[in-house]
Amino acid sequence: MDKKNKRRKHSQLKEFWRRFRKNRTAILGLVILAVIVCIAVFADLIVPYARCIEQVGADRLQPPNPSHWFGTDELGRDLFSRVVHGARYSLFVGVVTSLIALAIGAVLGASAAYFGGMVDNVIMRIIDVFMCVPPILLSLAVVSALGTSLRNLIIAITISCIPGNTRLIRSVVLTVAEQDYVEAARSYGTTNRRIIFRYVLPNAMGPIIVNTTMMISDMILSAAGLSFIGMGIQPPAPEWGALLSNAQTYIFTAPYLLFFPGIFIILTSLSFNLVGDGLTDALDPKLKD
Amino acid sequence: MSDVILKVSHLKKYFRTGAGLLHAVDDVSFSVPGGSTIGVVGESGCGKSTLGRTVLRLNEPTDGSVLFEGQELIGASKKTLAKIRPQMQMIFQDPYASLNGRMTVQQLIAEPLIVNRVCRNRREIDQKVSEIMEVVGLSERLTYAYPHELDGGRRQRIGVARALVLDPKFIVCDEPVSALDVSIQAQILNLLMDLQEERNLTYMFITHDLSVVRHISSRIMVMYLGKCVEEADADRLFENPAHPYTQALLAAIPIPSVSSQHVHRTLLQGEVTSPVNPAPGCRFAQRCKYACEACRKEDIPLKEIEPGHFCACVREG
Amino acid sequence: MNNELLQVKNLSVQYKTDLETVYAVNDVSFSICEGETLGLVGETGAGKTTTALGIMGLLPKRTAHITGGSISYKGRELTELSKKELLGVRGKQISMIFQDPMTALNPVLTVGDQIGETLRLHNTENLSGEAIEKKVDEMLEMVGIPPERKKEYPYQFSGGMRQRVVIAIALICDPSLLIADEPTTALDVTIQAQILSMICDLQRKYGTAVIMITHDMGVVAETCDKVAIMYAGQIVEYGELKDIFTGDDHHPYTIGLFGSIPSLTKKYRRLTPIEGLMPDPTTLPAGCCFAERCSHCQEICRREKPQPVVSGSHMIRCHAADAHLAAASDFFEKDLSRG
Repeated sequence: MDKKNKRRKHSQLKEFWRRFRKNRTAILGLVILAVIVCIAVFADLIVPYARCIEQVGADRLQPPNPSHWFGTDELGRDLFSRVVHGARYSLFVGVVTSLIALAIGAVLGASAAYFGGMVDNVIMRIIDVFMCVPPILLSLAVVSALGTSLRNLIIAITISCIPGNTRLIRSVVLTVAEQDYVEAARSYGTTNRRIIFRYVLPNAMGPIIVNTTMMISDMILSAAGLSFIGMGIQPPAPEWGALLSNAQTYIFTAPYLLFFPGIFIILTSLSFNLVGDGLTDALDPKLKD
Repeated sequence: MSDVILKVSHLKKYFRTGAGLLHAVDDVSFSVPGGSTIGVVGESGCGKSTLGRTVLRLNEPTDGSVLFEGQELIGASKKTLAKIRPQMQMIFQDPYASLNGRMTVQQLIAEPLIVNRVCRNRREIDQKVSEIMEVVGLSERLTYAYPHELDGGRRQRIGVARALVLDPKFIVCDEPVSALDVSIQAQILNLLMDLQEERNLTYMFITHDLSVVRHISSRIMVMYLGKCVEEADADRLFENPAHPYTQALLAAIPIPSVSSQHVHRTLLQGEVTSPVNPAPGCRFAQRCKYACEACRKEDIPLKEIEPGHFCACVREG
Repeated sequence: MNNELLQVKNLSVQYKTDLETVYAVNDVSFSICEGETLGLVGETGAGKTTTALGIMGLLPKRTAHITGGSISYKGRELTELSKKELLGVRGKQISMIFQDPMTALNPVLTVGDQIGETLRLHNTENLSGEAIEKKVDEMLEMVGIPPERKKEYPYQFSGGMRQRVVIAIALICDPSLLIADEPTTALDVTIQAQILSMICDLQRKYGTAVIMITHDMGVVAETCDKVAIMYAGQIVEYGELKDIFTGDDHHPYTIGLFGSIPSLTKKYRRLTPIEGLMPDPTTLPAGCCFAERCSHCQEICRREKPQPVVSGSHMIRCHAADAHLAAASDFFEKDLSRG
């Protein structure tokens, strides 16, 4: 019996995959994403970290050539290896901040929606206050208060995206909690906890997963942005935004310094967005075929 | 008939809205003998669904009392409620929205058993589920299907199975067939009536469809804007409706036979007024062709106009 | 009766997607004369709405294909009209009322503007703005709404009132054919009675022909002259009202449909519904579509599609009907059984 059950679950997953696969752009996004993730994971195998920080005086500001595929920067560091290792920072920052924001947003949003009344009011008014401040300003304020470091960067951009996330999750949970099947569950005596975990969360999952994917791309951009204005990850760590920031001085003399990190930021962010779009369509049973 | 299983007295449910107090259920009393069906009819917004939910205490009533087998439900503790809940179940209108789309048929039907810890082990649950599936006419191969793979009729059978699995005595059926096609509707009605006979169930059957309510009910209660305006045995009500609203309601049903064409009926004019802060007096007075001074002065109580036939109209009694 | 207004002949519509083909309407023929009311009866998925959308030229372009048959309106072939020509017909000569009055109106336009909109679009007589306003007032009065309310928005109206507005929109251009797709299903029974009697009065006054799509036999009995009973995309029984509601010869599906309706006058212990479900419209059976659920099913029913059997104005598409019904008159034979 359990076997059959598993097969069912499996086929639901298969169904989801079948619908996702039909979306060509989403598959393209997934492929790009897979490549970038591989680069980040196997960065040390592709090129040792030592090469990122190794400064070769003779090779300053070299344009792309066979020994330095992406060229070198003003200190003679190999840009290719810096971009490869930068993938680690960018993906790490994007994923970690999104997950933290998701967790905090889920707790705040779900309790606001489910309990309503005072709880809802207090949480949402505080969120409203945060919503009034532009996210980039909020992150800047946090970073300047705490000082610049990887940890503080993560804290800063996480805080900036909690308000939006909380709102979204609250609205999703509100719609789900209103459904008849939740009332049906109550009618045969289901406890609040079981309702939240068996009924509300599984049904709210779709939009939340999609939102999180999209959020990762936003987070990567914000991190790059903060690094770009010097408030993010500090040199010599090769974060993509920091690379860009560094390159702006040489925008006319060595444009490739701007080009390669820029391309990677755009590709990563784009691929997350494409996958997110694909997920939206594939997870919505109303958009069948 | 057997003893009274449910006795509702002076039940009130008001909702606070921006515009004022919405009188969804306003001082409704009735009692249901075991094994019978009480039909509740009325148009949208008359408070019939709220009445059903309040009787089950799915929402907190403003005032009144609900006695189930002599046990007071209103104000009862969580513990007492947990004990009584399995005896009182509900079938919902929309067979799609009332089923959690992430669960299989098996899981959906097993859920009440698990929640109420009725069975000792997995095997007992599985057995009980397959038993009940057979009772409601769901074939075994659907055990692991998801609701979205099924048609409306089958989904509603899941709803019925879920309500039955705890072996309840009393079931509130909230428009269980309105979302279904006629031929499927008839299948479900037959199923409900067979089950009632086999298991001596008591139904509170809420609907707006008068022919359905006549078919299934032994007693019928007509509601208008939160008030019960007439209550009588099904046949009596249809043969001899006393309240002007009941009369208008019956006259408005299109009858599926040739003789009915081009017979000019007296149509009810106007529409249902708002249930928010209603003025005292008969709620129906605005649309009633017999309305007079007395109707608008104060609320009209239900009066027994003949044995077992109650009507709230100044013209009667 | 009098002049034929619309004739649908052997109409077939399919919805095609990458995965499957839905045979929504299969070989449907009917006609309607000026001032007549035709009831199109059937359950969900029987193809009623698809037929109506086909006549309106409103089938979704991407998936729906008319695979055969013709729709001729006053002698013009509607399936061959260009987009532009179709615009001149739709709304002006044929108009439609939808089921749900709550979503059929645009919430950001006043009711008066929405009623006038159709007339402004089809302003062939070059009416001035004032004349249009006057016409809007007239329409509102006709459907029983005080003209003062035309400055209000849809949310200020109740369901029944909104359906009246929808009807006013449909009738303002004085169409000769009105398609009403379940116009009262979403309404309460007392409001339903008001709306139905209003449609009938307007129809008598203006001589509009009506196609009444419904699943309610009661509504059919009260409003229609002719009835077509649809099942799995086919008309299984067709005839004048008395043919369907009286007499002994019927399609088994019609009998089942009547057996499913609880009676208001007599009390039966049980209903006699049709067991089973409608066949999946993506894989219709080779023989009669109703064979699976039919209690009189014979060998031939599973093998061959039944041809229409006609007696007078009454058509039944059933193998068993052969024995009962008299041989068809030549005219109808030619008309209905082609294809």
